Amino acid sequence: MTNKMPVWKKVILYVVLIFICAVTLLPLVWMLSASLKFDKDVFRIPIEWIPSNPAWSNYQRIWEQVPFLRFTFNTFKITLITTIIQVFTCSFAAYGFAKCKFRGRNALFLIYVATIAVPWQVYMLPQYSMMNAVHMLDTHAVLILLHSFDAFGVFLLRQFCVGIPDELLEAARIDGLSEYGVYRKIVLPQMGPSIATLVIFTFVNNWNDFMGPMIYLNSTEKKTIQLGIRMFVGQYSTEYGLIMAASVVSLIPVVIVFLAFQKQFVQGIATSGLKG
Amino acid sequence: MAVKEKAGRGAPPAKQRGMTLHQRNTLVGLSFITPNFVGFFLLNLIPIVFAFWLSFNRWDGYNPMEFAGLDNFKYIFAHNVFQQAVVKTLIFTGCSVVITMILSLGLAVLINQSLKGIGIFRTAIFFPHVASVVAVAAVWQMLFQKDMGLINEILRHLGVTDVPGWFASTKWALFGVIIVNIWKSMGYYMIIYLAALQDVPTSLVEAGMIDGANAWQRFWHIKWPLLRNATFFVVMMLTINSFKSFDLIFALTEGGPGTATTLLSQYIYNQSFVSWDYGRASAAAMVLFAIVAVITLVQFRVEKKLDT
Amino acid sequence: MKRFLSLVLALAMSLCLLAGCGGTGSNSEPPAGGQPAQDAAQPAEDTAKPAEDAAQPAESTELTGTLKVSGWDMEVSGSLFKAVIDAFTAANPGVTIEAIDIPAADYGTKLSVMLNGGSDVDVFWVKDADTIYPIASRGQMTDMNSYIQRDGLDLGIYNGQAEDFNIDGKQIGMPFRTDYYTLFYNKDIFDECGVEYPSNDMTWTEFEELAKKVTTGEGVDKKYGAYFHTWQACVENWAVQDGQHTIMDTDYSFFKPYYEMALRMQEEGTCMDYGTVKTSNLTYTGVFSDGSVAMLPMGTWLAATMIEKVKSGESSVNWGIATLPHPDNVEAGYVVGATTPISINAASPNQDLAWEFVKFVCGPDGAAAVAGLGGVPALLDDATLKALTSVDGYPEGALEALQVKNMVRDRPIADKVSEVNQMLGEQHSLIMLGEVSIDEGLAGMGEQSKTIQGG
Repeated sequence: MTNKMPVWKKVILYVVLIFICAVTLLPLVWMLSASLKFDKDVFRIPIEWIPSNPAWSNYQRIWEQVPFLRFTFNTFKITLITTIIQVFTCSFAAYGFAKCKFRGRNALFLIYVATIAVPWQVYMLPQYSMMNAVHMLDTHAVLILLHSFDAFGVFLLRQFCVGIPDELLEAARIDGLSEYGVYRKIVLPQMGPSIATLVIFTFVNNWNDFMGPMIYLNSTEKKTIQLGIRMFVGQYSTEYGLIMAASVVSLIPVVIVFLAFQKQFVQGIATSGLKG
Repeated sequence: MAVKEKAGRGAPPAKQRGMTLHQRNTLVGLSFITPNFVGFFLLNLIPIVFAFWLSFNRWDGYNPMEFAGLDNFKYIFAHNVFQQAVVKTLIFTGCSVVITMILSLGLAVLINQSLKGIGIFRTAIFFPHVASVVAVAAVWQMLFQKDMGLINEILRHLGVTDVPGWFASTKWALFGVIIVNIWKSMGYYMIIYLAALQDVPTSLVEAGMIDGANAWQRFWHIKWPLLRNATFFVVMMLTINSFKSFDLIFALTEGGPGTATTLLSQYIYNQSFVSWDYGRASAAAMVLFAIVAVITLVQFRVEKKLDT
Repeated sequence: MKRFLSLVLALAMSLCLLAGCGGTGSNSEPPAGGQPAQDAAQPAEDTAKPAEDAAQPAESTELTGTLKVSGWDMEVSGSLFKAVIDAFTAANPGVTIEAIDIPAADYGTKLSVMLNGGSDVDVFWVKDADTIYPIASRGQMTDMNSYIQRDGLDLGIYNGQAEDFNIDGKQIGMPFRTDYYTLFYNKDIFDECGVEYPSNDMTWTEFEELAKKVTTGEGVDKKYGAYFHTWQACVENWAVQDGQHTIMDTDYSFFKPYYEMALRMQEEGTCMDYGTVKTSNLTYTGVFSDGSVAMLPMGTWLAATMIEKVKSGESSVNWGIATLPHPDNVEAGYVVGATTPISINAASPNQDLAWEFVKFVCGPDGAAAVAGLGGVPALLDDATLKALTSVDGYPEGALEALQVKNMVRDRPIADKVSEVNQMLGEQHSLIMLGEVSIDEGLAGMGEQSKTIQGG
């Protein structure tokens, strides 16, 4: 299907893309380079992009100095469960907000959206007191619960759901499908790309979340990767080499998830065939 | 999973007798929203309402609250750091929203192709959003370094003699921060547009091609109107996230030099964790909340008008 | 209001959990599991009342129980907190200590959320001096006076540091460790220049002169005579060192000579430029351990880091230590620093046991554990100082260099200190970057300080 594009166009496209990626990937290159340096060399100017004396031991030390494997497992658990709950309840609510007509719908939706605007700092304390009251501090469940019912996901999916043509749903209803059937058989399959988007965003957010685990988790064996990375930041000294090595390692699952789910973004074109 | 089973099979309200269509619709609608709403209500909405109430009280976070009426609002509106923070936040948000939206849309259109290795390019453009803030801040600080940084080096080659001091200057720091923020978030919004572009029916595009419309016409007359819902979302989220932007700016400048890059979110943070005044912090947050609510309402109106 | 809210929420939450909306997530830990059955609502607002508990005799009974203790950097090798906790559990095998390790940069935030939110932490160290007063004034620290009287503890052994944590007659903290500024120097650079090492009795003027003599090279190879880190403390501290002023004054003209010195040295290139240090993320450990600065006024905590770096081969600097230079009007040995206190959560149900822990870690056993790792305990006598400076890796002459005649707190323990300190930091950056003149900056400081302290 890409055959139609003339070669010169393709070449230009590649050149442009490579240039853009060079700009966006600069920090990655720097991270990789810094992860192979001793702390004192990390910020030295001019930057030595390829360390002359690479400190490979950094990649070994992160596993030895802190229980990094345990942290990775914990983060996986929290992220995975949260993502599943999010995709599920959000797509459900999104359909309700987009395609079911009932009184008070818009007001309710407005509340959802407006709460996104309230910074966490101001309601973190009451939230913490609540969780303390039900004895849920220092559990993974509390992080899963807090992140699973974000208004963001509902907002995102609702915007995509609105765009599904009503005629399609009406036809299905006439065929005798209940609203739940319409949701499952018609709407859900249409939402592939938007659900992929939500999965990517939820995964990244949870994976990179620092404040939530910082506030709610106490025991070392329950901590997450981001907390683990901060263990290399001391009051008096910061081990930048180790931080960067740990950050590089923690990026790998995110990249895998992204590569897997971004495939959704070509299907629309691929299946309907742009070639005409 | 239990949620789905319960809502999907148990007690279908649709077929009950004696109900008006209206009631039935309401029940069905609510049944879709409830699973999410219960969690949202308990875990987010209640604490947020509490924070709202807090803005009318004096509270140190521990001892009993004292009702303070509008004192907190009077205080922050008279506080010059707050006033400056609002102005800077508006500049920051204005620039970030417009430029990021255009760039992310452009990137999405550019990258919505079935080229070999396109996944790699997408990942690369999304990367700034994923990258650790520590690393991002470190790299940009080095690029923006006044004497030896790459950016000023380029400017000097272009003949600029009086190069900006960027993060070491009260005049330029905010712009430096805006540039980094745009760079970091454009990949994120690109993904949203990319997903939205998948919903553009290809038949329409093909029809446009047959009509002999050029690429720009096809985009402007066919794709752009269909991207309206996504654009509403992108503008809203960009606005909210720019208003709330904290981590990145803190890592880059810590709000400095002086208070040159102290935005509303940092002001709120300082009120809660430096001044220990939760009432004032909440009051400042409510200002932010009000601005976003107004923008949402306006957008809703526009959306409705376009629908009819 | 709050109690009511908590109860309503507790009810609502349990309903929610029963209904299964917590679902998949919560199965790994039973929500109400191992937590102690403590009242969900906040305990009394009053500062605790250990008086009646104190009546019980604590003699010769073996201690048992569990304590939750919060601190930072506990996973870092050579953690002093970990060392004293280990020493305590070794001496009291019946006690279990649950350590809550919090990232250093966010310690103040999490500690305040834990205390305000009613978490069951029993004992905590306080990291930043400016957070002590707010916590104490909220009534979250136990007054330890009755325990001190019961056990006949003499607070005089802390050389006046204990009084710092006495607020309105309440002893809300006990001094645990002390850090004060001293002068670290790179012996190799002095040797190369043929200049004698810095003495233990030197004024700041002499320091500035000396920095000129040991500044060498150009460009990438440049070795700077001195290095002031970007914190406002690294200029302003020298102005409060004589004990005449504190950062809570509203006329900041006493900062002026030191800002002039710092800017002059920056101009002459004898110390690294503030803008460069700030925007290139330089760390004082980095520049000192790779040998690019000759003299670094820095806290005693750096010694342990340097020992570690040299031992691991990461740094090959041959370093020495001298007493901090002093202002003209006071003699050598007047230093500036801060003491880290340990406090008991007023809401803790384990007051007695918590006190035993505090007494231990601030006592001779705790001090020995701290000194054994090269840290400076608050309980500092000649023998302890000798012990800590003879830790493997300490440079020769450290015992003499670390002698203290008088130590001034860099941040007093009072209301609004954290806000004033924050504001001073903002103005400091403007002065050091040359965005405002010294006089403008100091005037700005004075004005804002008045507003903060007046309101």
